[in-house]
Amino acid sequence: MTPTVATRNAPSAPGAIERAICRIHSLRARAERRTASFWGLIPFLAFIVLFLGVPVCGIVLSAFRVADVNEPGNYVPSLANFAASFRGASWDAMRNSLQISVIAALVGGIVGLALAQAILTTRSRKLSAVVTVLTSVLANSGGVPLAFSFIAAVGNAGIITGLLSLTDRGFTLYSSGGLILMYQYFLIPTMVMVVLPTLTGLRVEWKEAAASVGATSWQFWKKIALPIASPAILSGFVLLFGASFATHASAAALIGGGGVPLISLRIDSGLAGGNLAGQENVAMALGVNMIVVALIVLLIYMPLQKRSLKWFK
Amino acid sequence: MVQVSRKTRAARGIRVVAPGLSWALIILMALYIAVPMLCAFAFSIYVPTAGFTFEPYLESVRDPGFPGALSLTLLITVLTVVGLLALMVPTMVYLHLRAPRWRPIIEIVCTIPLVVPSIALAAGLVTVLRSMAGFGRGSLPAQVSQLLQNPDLPVVLVGSYIVLTLPFVFRSLDAGLRTIDLRTLVESAHSLGASGATVLRRVILPNIKGPVIFSAFFCIALCLGEFTVAVTLGYRTLPVWLTQIAGSNFRASISMSLLINALTWALLIAMTVLAGRAAPARALALKGHES
Repeated sequence: MTPTVATRNAPSAPGAIERAICRIHSLRARAERRTASFWGLIPFLAFIVLFLGVPVCGIVLSAFRVADVNEPGNYVPSLANFAASFRGASWDAMRNSLQISVIAALVGGIVGLALAQAILTTRSRKLSAVVTVLTSVLANSGGVPLAFSFIAAVGNAGIITGLLSLTDRGFTLYSSGGLILMYQYFLIPTMVMVVLPTLTGLRVEWKEAAASVGATSWQFWKKIALPIASPAILSGFVLLFGASFATHASAAALIGGGGVPLISLRIDSGLAGGNLAGQENVAMALGVNMIVVALIVLLIYMPLQKRSLKWFK
Repeated sequence: MVQVSRKTRAARGIRVVAPGLSWALIILMALYIAVPMLCAFAFSIYVPTAGFTFEPYLESVRDPGFPGALSLTLLITVLTVVGLLALMVPTMVYLHLRAPRWRPIIEIVCTIPLVVPSIALAAGLVTVLRSMAGFGRGSLPAQVSQLLQNPDLPVVLVGSYIVLTLPFVFRSLDAGLRTIDLRTLVESAHSLGASGATVLRRVILPNIKGPVIFSAFFCIALCLGEFTVAVTLGYRTLPVWLTQIAGSNFRASISMSLLINALTWALLIAMTVLAGRAAPARALALKGHES
């Protein structure tokens, strides 16, 4: 395929020069095709630049500049927005979001893991078919309808709230705990979806093989099952953390402006109070922080996910 | 997001605890899933002062904001689905046929929306549109900003919804195009005298029907339920309208939200079943941001 191959062959074959010329021509043609092939992607790339590139650049640029005090209407580059995003109410919102996301991911991850194992234990084909469909539906559900149905069930005037007199027991949906409870609606199915294929792939035969060479059940789980399953389990936890951290719609529909500080809701209020000096740019810095967290989540998730598939091809 | 486990393995796996305990956990989870929806349903059909009634549903439809919100949502949905397929199907076919070298780059580009939470995307759009409008009335940037935000035809919402679906649509179409022998199909169609458009419409499309329908359903479900970008950019789509009337008439808003949710779930179920049939070995474990 390369010219060096052609020259190496040259002394032994009489038609080698023609062939080499042909090859060079085809290489040039290929290079031309390579550039030509780019043009067909222009509509897609133009669209991406307009609706993804421009807003992302916009948020990053706005995050790194502040209004010039000497010349109103002008901006100067600065890290002040990021400094502000790690102080006061913005930092409270970010810290609370991180805290809620860690707890929600741990709860959802552990329950989801137990549930996936329970689904396997039943060995019911019907159940696993239903679970496959339901998990992918529920993992993608959320938003306003989710918040509304939780308000109807365990909100201040909710049916379950009345039945179990939850208010007297100190429970309120409009709190960090309430959010964590609501997030489980899409987090647990997500966890089941991520770990079920891996847990299903742990073969009974492997356990029998381990037992036949004298391994105890504990040793099998510790030395064989866990190392194989841990990438999938870890990737599940990471994904749940990212999903809760990025959640906006259901939290906004439930909490609105006040109550629980959250990074996504803080961006909302920063944008709404745009005329308040600098708040909009601090909101942009918070947005960049969210993107960085989501990027870290994806960079951890993807290799883990790839590794978890290694044993099950 | 679709996760398809191989059916043949469904009955295997290692038992850790007794099946009875497992069923108890599954039933608890089923209750957790069902109870909020049932409570919402009870709220929508039972009013303490009037007994069983469909009045909340009728009230939601009679709300003066409803027709506008419905027509805006439907318009956006139709435009987004059409725009998405018109952009992505030719691009993906072209990518597989003529520009396979660019595939990894396009895949990364299509994954980027996963790391941009929708509130961040919305914030970015707001800041860009505001600063474009800041150039002053009548200037070109201000005019573009106005055009994109046209209240009757919010191009900016259509564009951002297409962006939000890209990670899923790319993977679905990519997997679909891998399973068919695209080059042979196209070359034989050409040799029989078919034009490029005919090949796309009558040869390629029927062969990737599954992924195309998957993409369309996913996109419709997203458009019907998306709240964050719409509310941040100040559009009154159905979900935004729901939150606005919730304060004054919660029963009406919950009835309509149940209807929308039922439609979304139906679409997602159809999509998952379809994807499971179309590409059983292909697993897509991704989490969308529309929660």
